[in-house]
Amino acid sequence: MPFFSTEMSIETLQLLVPLVPFIGAVATIILGRVLGSKAHIPAIASIAIAAAAALVLLAVEVERVREGTTVESAARPDESIVTLWQWAGVESDPVDHNANQVAARPFSIDVTLRLDPLTATMLSLVTCVGLLVAIYSIGYMHDDPGYPRFFALVAMFVFSMTMLVAASNFLIVYVFWEAVGACSYLLIGFWFQKPDAARAAKKAFLVNRIGDFGFAVALFLLFVTYGTLDFHDSLSPNGTILPGILGKTRLMDESGIIGGAIGTAVCLLLLLAACGKSAQLPLHVWLPDAMEGPTPASALIHAATMVTAGVYLITRTAPLFVACPGALVVVSIVGASTAMVAALIATVQNDLKRVLAYSTISQLGYMFASLGTGLALGFTAAIFHLMTHAFFKALLFLGAGSVMHSMGGVIDMRRFGGLRKVMPITAITFLCGSLALAGVAPFAGFFSKDEILTALRTKGWPDTAHHSSHESHAMTGLIAPRMHLTSSVESVTNVDAFPASLEALNTPFVWQILWWMSLITAGLTAFYTFRAFFMTFTGPTRVPHEAGHHAHESPPTMTGPLVLLAIASGVSGIWIFGTQSLSLFLASTPSLAAPSVAGTAVPHVFHLDLAVQGTLASLLGISIAAIAHLGRRSDGPHIERFLGPVGTLFENKFYIDLIYVFVVVRPLEFIARLLAFFDSSVLDGLVDAVGRVPFSLGRVLRSLQSGLLQRYAVAGVVGVLALVLALVWQLRG
Amino acid sequence: MNEASLLNNALLVGAMLFSLGLVGMLTRRNLIVMFLSAELMLQGISVSLAAWSRFHDDWGGHILVIFVLTVAACEAAIALVYVLGVFGRTGILDVAAWQSLGNDSMEKQVDRELPSVDTLSPQWPRLTPAGVQPEIDQNELLEREHV
Amino acid sequence: MRIPPFSSPGLLLAGAVTLTALALWLLLPRSSSTRAARGVGYVFGTVALVAFIMSGRRMGCIGDEVVFSIVSIVAVVSGAATILTRSPVYSAIWFALSLAGVSGVLLVLGAQFLGVATIVVYAGAILVMFLFVLMLAQPSGLAPYDRVSNEPFLSAVSGAVLLGLLSLVIGRMSLNENFSESSAFAGFVANNPALLERQLLQDDHVARLGSQMFGRHLVSVEVAGVLLLVSLIGSIAIVSRNTESQSKTLLRGGLRDE
Repeated sequence: MPFFSTEMSIETLQLLVPLVPFIGAVATIILGRVLGSKAHIPAIASIAIAAAAALVLLAVEVERVREGTTVESAARPDESIVTLWQWAGVESDPVDHNANQVAARPFSIDVTLRLDPLTATMLSLVTCVGLLVAIYSIGYMHDDPGYPRFFALVAMFVFSMTMLVAASNFLIVYVFWEAVGACSYLLIGFWFQKPDAARAAKKAFLVNRIGDFGFAVALFLLFVTYGTLDFHDSLSPNGTILPGILGKTRLMDESGIIGGAIGTAVCLLLLLAACGKSAQLPLHVWLPDAMEGPTPASALIHAATMVTAGVYLITRTAPLFVACPGALVVVSIVGASTAMVAALIATVQNDLKRVLAYSTISQLGYMFASLGTGLALGFTAAIFHLMTHAFFKALLFLGAGSVMHSMGGVIDMRRFGGLRKVMPITAITFLCGSLALAGVAPFAGFFSKDEILTALRTKGWPDTAHHSSHESHAMTGLIAPRMHLTSSVESVTNVDAFPASLEALNTPFVWQILWWMSLITAGLTAFYTFRAFFMTFTGPTRVPHEAGHHAHESPPTMTGPLVLLAIASGVSGIWIFGTQSLSLFLASTPSLAAPSVAGTAVPHVFHLDLAVQGTLASLLGISIAAIAHLGRRSDGPHIERFLGPVGTLFENKFYIDLIYVFVVVRPLEFIARLLAFFDSSVLDGLVDAVGRVPFSLGRVLRSLQSGLLQRYAVAGVVGVLALVLALVWQLRG
Repeated sequence: MNEASLLNNALLVGAMLFSLGLVGMLTRRNLIVMFLSAELMLQGISVSLAAWSRFHDDWGGHILVIFVLTVAACEAAIALVYVLGVFGRTGILDVAAWQSLGNDSMEKQVDRELPSVDTLSPQWPRLTPAGVQPEIDQNELLEREHV
Repeated sequence: MRIPPFSSPGLLLAGAVTLTALALWLLLPRSSSTRAARGVGYVFGTVALVAFIMSGRRMGCIGDEVVFSIVSIVAVVSGAATILTRSPVYSAIWFALSLAGVSGVLLVLGAQFLGVATIVVYAGAILVMFLFVLMLAQPSGLAPYDRVSNEPFLSAVSGAVLLGLLSLVIGRMSLNENFSESSAFAGFVANNPALLERQLLQDDHVARLGSQMFGRHLVSVEVAGVLLLVSLIGSIAIVSRNTESQSKTLLRGGLRDE
């Protein structure tokens, strides 16, 4: 590293990545009114600086990993920590050495920034996509009255998201987990004058709260279990090493990670948090509604970056999950079923953005399914898919935004068609994105999806997989709690019964089902993607009247990012897959370098049979879409009509929202009404009564205060007489 | 003369005067009559003091009565000056006209059962109207029953 | 001897108190007072007065009794008239008559100087001042507020009850065996035979009073003189402060509250 040889400058860069967008956000807030239509300058400049810094950091980290890793040696964990300051430091009690006493442990929250391969990857991704989206927004958001507000929020989001992936402490992660949620809330409700937008923002916030609750409880459990919330190892004042939860010390120690009931509970709670943020079943309901926000915000937050926070979290805590096979299989089940359900719903949506929203949910489900395998391949595949998905989904969203921009705000696919002639650049880039999403061979999605299918198949057919013996051996060797399975038989009341019962799902048969579900989802993905593409861009050219006579291609600030993203969607997959750079790189992340994870790594092989299966599924989907929609009017009769009642089920999103309304919302509303009635009638009545007592008493007594001197005198005389009478009566006789 | 009987009777007279004065003080609304009642009470006290002085053959009671006289004179002087001032402001000597001590939200004392004036209402001489009609302060008209 | 229950002192007193209260209530200026009610009030008042006279005690000498009775009746009846008359001018004149009675009582009590001083100071100075003020402040006849009373019943009852209480206490005190002449003064005199002669009843009564005043009570007399001076200056100051403009502003400020 010739030009960043000192640690100091790297630390400065680490600090710059979140700090500059923060300054940009604050500057936009302060100067927004002054800048007016130039309000994007501070935000975009700051995000650009952050992106440059992040890319340099990525290069530094790649270099560092390459230096430390040889071909034959195992991945060496690599991380560097910058401690900004220590918050809420509480010394341990020097007298009490009772190790079981949690309160006696030292407690401090280190506000630290970390740099490891995973963080570097995420930082680059977030800042680069953020930059492209921000540039795109110049064109998309112009003339909006909230123009400065939008850019301030985008910059603030980039700050929060970079802090989220760079933090090295669970509590700080939690803080910025909430911060990105807040940014998301504000951006969904960006057009808060629209009741739908306000409602969608509220819904997203409330649904996310459920997941955040899980996160909070997971934090409590983690602190009680491990006595710290730090990821990394730290030095105590007296020189001993305090092992962090995900520090090298604990990860290298085979018994360092606690499994069993507590570990499973922690993992499931973290999964709940991830489900909330990443819109997985059953907490996915907020994401489709979040499309009420501006399209660039949807692209950035609700497709590319924030929703992947759950994937990031599970990857980061991979050793915890690997120690609990029961929790892992749940992750996969949640992921695969989400992928399938969302894909089914997406097939019948007519709103272009909603199709993409359900597609996002579906793809995130893919990532979860991949994470749930607990293999090194699964984790890297998930991150791989995360990256490629970020590119092509951002591309698709921005393309949809471009269409919407040109169509005068109309997004219903039935109302326009044949737009390839009107907006050729958008059409071509959208096609690239669709091909990537559908998983057609040279495009990015093909490779990442292929890896995910490989990981799932490894679990489903352990015998046929090339590395099965090694993997299962490593699993059994490293993960002691196999005995739970047997012990649960005789002691049902034991708390260990619950992880054991989950572990019972961890059978090849379950994984086979999951694999088939993923394969079918791949076909469905191709179908709905191309259905949307055909409906929008092919067939006779039709333009809704809202667009007026100026339906045109979008300005260069919008098409530029589209082209860049299209290129990224085209080449990133084959480049990353071909060079294996990502998996080797990520393997040096401390969490993924733990023996329990790294032990499952396999030599990189391209499985032709899987590729053929995946491609066949995609082509089948595309063919059906082409038969149904290619060259037809988008508002014509649909192939979906053959679905009958099942189609209705899909159109109504499996009635999940309705179920929530009846199971959660209505009873709560009823209880709330009851309590409100109780409050307004009984409690308020009581309070009012208490208030009325002195009032009425005062009204009675006030009449005595007539201000008439002689009445007072009479009262005084009567009182004195009463006293004298009492005296005389007492002294009688 | 039976000193105890004299004392008894004189004290009785003093008590009667005092009680009458008290009743007058409490009931009469004319400020001047109220002061007369106060003087009546002082007379009762004076009689009692003189009686006790006589009974004990001591000068103290007499001296005290002299001081009572002095103080009564001072009090009358000051009080009458105030009565004049009050009259100058409200135009009446009614003690009920001064109720600022009462609660603000209270309705002010109104004489519901004021007897009608026996005499005919006075006939004011009528002058030929000239110039601008002066503004009449309604408030003052309310307060000034007698001009 | 056996006292008949009807004429027992307690019953007599209770009756007298009740009648006094009723008489005062009936005779006090009221809006609804009628001639008949007033007549009943007079009767009740007379009866009550007789009852109180009866509750008085014999003093031994019939001449003293007659004189004392006359002057005390004059004092009390004119006192009652003072508070019952509607016109404040008549009130003042009745008060003057009451003063005459009081001065008579004082003379009977042997307080020569006080009797004369009462007439001179009260009737001659204070009362005349009252009348002047009445002339200044009450130019036109009978005011409505002179014809109503404030809480007449309650006040009358409390006044009567006070009177009853005082009478009870006085009567009980003088009926007490230990109290009568033997106890207080007689015992005192018995111990000091030289003092048998009452100093209050000497011929040089006024001279002795004067020597007492300007001897033992000299400082008090000076203080009283200062008090008179201060009240003189004070009333002049108050009067001169009530100039037209100030009184106007004060009038507006004062009346706005009402």
